[in-house]
Amino acid sequence: MKSEPFDQSDGSLRQVLQQWRVETPLPPRFQEGVWRRIELNETRSSSSSSLVSRIVAGIARPSLAASYFVILLLAGVLTGYWQARVSNAHAEQLLSARYVQVVDPYQSLHQTSP
Amino acid sequence: MKAPVLILVGGLVLGVLAYAGAYRAGTASSCCMVESKTPELAWLQQEFHLSDAEFKRISELHEQYLSGCAERCHQIDLKNQELAHLLEATNNVSPEIQRALADAAQLRAQCQSSMLQHFYDVSRTMPPEQGKRYLAWVRSKTLLHDTHATMHH
Repeated sequence: MKSEPFDQSDGSLRQVLQQWRVETPLPPRFQEGVWRRIELNETRSSSSSSLVSRIVAGIARPSLAASYFVILLLAGVLTGYWQARVSNAHAEQLLSARYVQVVDPYQSLHQTSP
Repeated sequence: MKAPVLILVGGLVLGVLAYAGAYRAGTASSCCMVESKTPELAWLQQEFHLSDAEFKRISELHEQYLSGCAERCHQIDLKNQELAHLLEATNNVSPEIQRALADAAQLRAQCQSSMLQHFYDVSRTMPPEQGKRYLAWVRSKTLLHDTHATMHH
């Protein structure tokens, strides 16, 4: 639906609008409700940005910084240790298979033949 | 604002360094094995806890066995080629094919006998418990492995 552009210089329209009175009563506690919704929106928008700023500000505290370092250190050591175990198991499997291939000529023949 | 960012980045760098250090320390032994001259023997030494003297003796046995093995491998190749020519020439089990198959079987038996003898020699060089473990493992991977594979094919 196309709306007609509002002509502000239209004198008759302005007169009608000035005479217009809203007589329907507002719902109970209308103003309180409006303020509550405004506050809620403000809280929501500020909470995401404040989380980052709270983390940045909190990490500067010695106790939190120390915990952060310890957690990352432990995570690094554990992941490295676990990866090393996987690599070692793989290398051992590879070398044991190689030993068998070296000593058993028939396995070498099976392996090399397509 | 500068200090918290430094702490965050420093923590990440520390984590990466910890990972690299733990990985390097954990794979040091397997890296040495892989980079050695005979990685399969280095693995044998580590797996069966061999002393340097035992390892030296086993390396000598291994060398002796492989020098004989090369000759046997050559004979196996020749016999396989002969058998392949015979199989291409006919679609019957001719006396020549029977003879070639018997020769191949005899060659295989000789190979397996020398291999088994080598395993016994190696196992006797190891400490008794490790020798027993080595024999059980190597038999399952070679002689018994072949039987199992043949049965399934």
